[in-house]
Amino acid sequence: MNAAAWICLLLPLAGALAITLAGERVSRRGAGYLSTATTAAAFVAAIVAFADMLSKPPAARPHATTSWTWLSAGRYHFGLTLLTDQLSVFMMLIVSGVGALIVAYSIGYMDREDEERRFFAYMSLFVFSMLLLVQGGNLLLLLAGWGMVGLSSYLLIGFYQERESAVRAAKKAFVMNAVGDATMALALFLLIQHTGRLDYGGVFAASPHGGAIANLIALGLLGGAVAKSAQIPLHTWLPDAMEGPTPVSALIHAATMVTAGVYLIVRTHPLFENAYVVEDLAAGLGAATLVMAGLIALVQVDIKRVIAYSTMSQIGYMFVGAGVGAYPNAMFHLMTHAFFKALLFLAAGIAIHALAGEQDIRRMTGLGRTMPRTRLAFLAGSLALVGIPPFAGFFSKDSILAATLDRGWFGAILFACGLAGTFLTGLYTFRLFFVVFGREGDAHPHLHGDAEGPFSMVSTVAVLAVLSVVGGWIQFAPLWTPLTTWLAPVARPISEATSWEEAASSAAAFALGLAGIWVAYAAYAARTVRVPAALPLLEKKFYWDELYDLVFYRPADLVSRALGRFFEQPVVAGSIGEVTQGFRVGAGEVSRAQNGLVRSYALALAAGVAVLAVVFLSVR
Amino acid sequence: MHGPDVAWYLVLAALLFVTGALGVLVRRSPLIILLSVEIMLNGANLALIAFARRLGHEDGQVFAIAVMAIAASEVVVGLGLIVAMGRRHVELDVDKLRTLRG
Amino acid sequence: MANVIVWIVWCGAAFACIASALAVVSFSNPFFSALALIGNLASLAVLYLLLGGEFVAAGQVLVYGGAVMVMFLFVIAYLGDRTQEAPWAGGPSWQAVGTVLAAGAILAEVIVALALTTGGHLKHEAHIPRSFGTPASIGRLFLTDHLLAFEVTSIVLLVAAVGGVVLGSHARTLEDDARA
Repeated sequence: MNAAAWICLLLPLAGALAITLAGERVSRRGAGYLSTATTAAAFVAAIVAFADMLSKPPAARPHATTSWTWLSAGRYHFGLTLLTDQLSVFMMLIVSGVGALIVAYSIGYMDREDEERRFFAYMSLFVFSMLLLVQGGNLLLLLAGWGMVGLSSYLLIGFYQERESAVRAAKKAFVMNAVGDATMALALFLLIQHTGRLDYGGVFAASPHGGAIANLIALGLLGGAVAKSAQIPLHTWLPDAMEGPTPVSALIHAATMVTAGVYLIVRTHPLFENAYVVEDLAAGLGAATLVMAGLIALVQVDIKRVIAYSTMSQIGYMFVGAGVGAYPNAMFHLMTHAFFKALLFLAAGIAIHALAGEQDIRRMTGLGRTMPRTRLAFLAGSLALVGIPPFAGFFSKDSILAATLDRGWFGAILFACGLAGTFLTGLYTFRLFFVVFGREGDAHPHLHGDAEGPFSMVSTVAVLAVLSVVGGWIQFAPLWTPLTTWLAPVARPISEATSWEEAASSAAAFALGLAGIWVAYAAYAARTVRVPAALPLLEKKFYWDELYDLVFYRPADLVSRALGRFFEQPVVAGSIGEVTQGFRVGAGEVSRAQNGLVRSYALALAAGVAVLAVVFLSVR
Repeated sequence: MHGPDVAWYLVLAALLFVTGALGVLVRRSPLIILLSVEIMLNGANLALIAFARRLGHEDGQVFAIAVMAIAASEVVVGLGLIVAMGRRHVELDVDKLRTLRG
Repeated sequence: MANVIVWIVWCGAAFACIASALAVVSFSNPFFSALALIGNLASLAVLYLLLGGEFVAAGQVLVYGGAVMVMFLFVIAYLGDRTQEAPWAGGPSWQAVGTVLAAGAILAEVIVALALTTGGHLKHEAHIPRSFGTPASIGRLFLTDHLLAFEVTSIVLLVAAVGGVVLGSHARTLEDDARA
């Protein structure tokens, strides 16, 4: 059974290596097929693992296999351990399933690109890294996967290497993630110091309960989660990451990598439960992010950036869910979000591809007429995102909102933020829908004839659209909760909503979502309400980039320049010149002793004899 | 008969040796240098014979005779070199012979 | 009485020795230097006699003075004026200063070594038999205890003789070498 888990993990790596080593011997399309095939096979392996797990009783389901001891230092031993339990199988299915769909989509999207093989190698590398992250049996492997997904993200954001904006965005993403990695590493150091182990089985039991150390550990892990999931304050990299190709945005920055932070919190939830303050902090950050991102999304004019801020906002929901302890709810929303957010990105990608790279929504007009099937897919994704029943988002998002009511006054604030977010979601999503896929407007000059795209793109979008509709039907709290039951042994929720709370929050959210859609319709479709001019605050994304520039970048630039001028140039660079000069002068002086005169050499002999005589006299 | 102790002879020998060394290091003509080397050897001989007297063995004197023979051979070769140099009209100045210069 | 005579002879010989040594290194004319060396050898022979080395003294005069110095004088006469030079001139500036310092240092060290190591040990001379330093006893030593030195020395002499002949033969000039 664990062979299935290992196969699932290693197949994408094999694919990446094969594409890399084959080089020009594999055709561009061939690289795409290879990558898709390995990811799909990984999905099949995940299903096998899942089926095998279903056949076992719940207590026997977690299964850890260690292939060998990776690190052994003194009394610390860390193995290459894969843990296959309910949570990791859940994530494996999502990562490999949605990943396979998106990689298949990219065959069509990246067709005729110059560097397709590199793209597919990176995509397979990413899938492997993400699987390593979710399958790792100890925090060390999780950190390894964490770093590798960061690397894959950097490589793929900066895929269009000639574009300077892409390169800068890749650097920004990597540096911000490095901050998170650093805090995570510090947390791991503390854990090793206080418990001596990092495997999931042991470290949670052995870690300190409460106190400063527990808070620091949880804070460090939260730092990593915040960076990877683009929450306040480490969120500014995500909109810029849209410089990468659209499938990358779909896979990495919507469906899987950015949700790794949520997975981390759920996986290490005992550590967070030892530090309630930090858990509340996580929920608070999530709530703040979801409102802020929703506001910013209202004024963005790049279609991908709107969806990116939407992602940020939805992950805020997941953080709220994880922060209040409703872990299965957060994971449920993670799954449905993967479906409909990928769908939105891929549908937008069809439009972008058809318009030869146009991403400004003010110029992407009239697509409702020319691309009806894409319009339908986008509509499905939008309805799921807003949370309209029977689409997927309704079931997952509302259960999170309901769980917050369990938490006193703090939970009430979270609930209010969540409801406000629902309204904003409806507004910005349907603003996008009505503007881009509206019926009116002239056709874009670049519109191709065969507008809807090749079979690979259309089919995968269709699959995702179906999933966005039915994906939520797996759980309808509180009546039918197979997902919670499945995940409970490894992620026992500490906040459960009552049926009354569930019903009330569902009703409120539904109503607000509809209100948002109605306002968007009035403003952008029917044009009965005038759209006010965008606030500079919102257009400048709440000035976060400017703040970081002022606080971090400028002082660092100043210091480095000063160091360069006052220290590096005169001392370091100058000293090199001086060292060589000194050698030259010294050699010149020493070479004067070699004048070729026998007499001088004889004098040297005599002087040596004089010295030696003293030595012999003094040393008896 | 008495007379000065062996120590006096040794100091004299040291003086001879140093004078010879001075000549070797200061003069430029190879002939004079060779003569100075002879003085150094004679200083050593004097020391040997003084110690032979002090210790009552004649080994020092035997050694001194051997030194004399070796000095003679060395002078033969050295003078042969100088004559050869003179025949080829090479200037007899040690400072001018600089091919050892690095 | 005999003591005083010995002292007087010693002082005279020592003075002559040092004076002639200084003369050797200071004259600019090598001919005079060679003559001064002959004087040095003679005074040294006197000192050897005082130390009981009869055979050595005779050998010194005969071999050194009679053979080696004659050779020197021959060569100096052969080379003629080419060998004149001023003693302290030439060479790098530090040569003269360094030389005096080094020589002075060695002298001082030897004297210090003598004083430190021997103390009063040199005051007593060994009692020597009448046959001390006679040709017979020297010869006996050469042929018994120091036979190896004897043989090796004779080989060295042979080599030097051959070398002298080689160096002196075939008056080839530089033009001869260039034509060859």
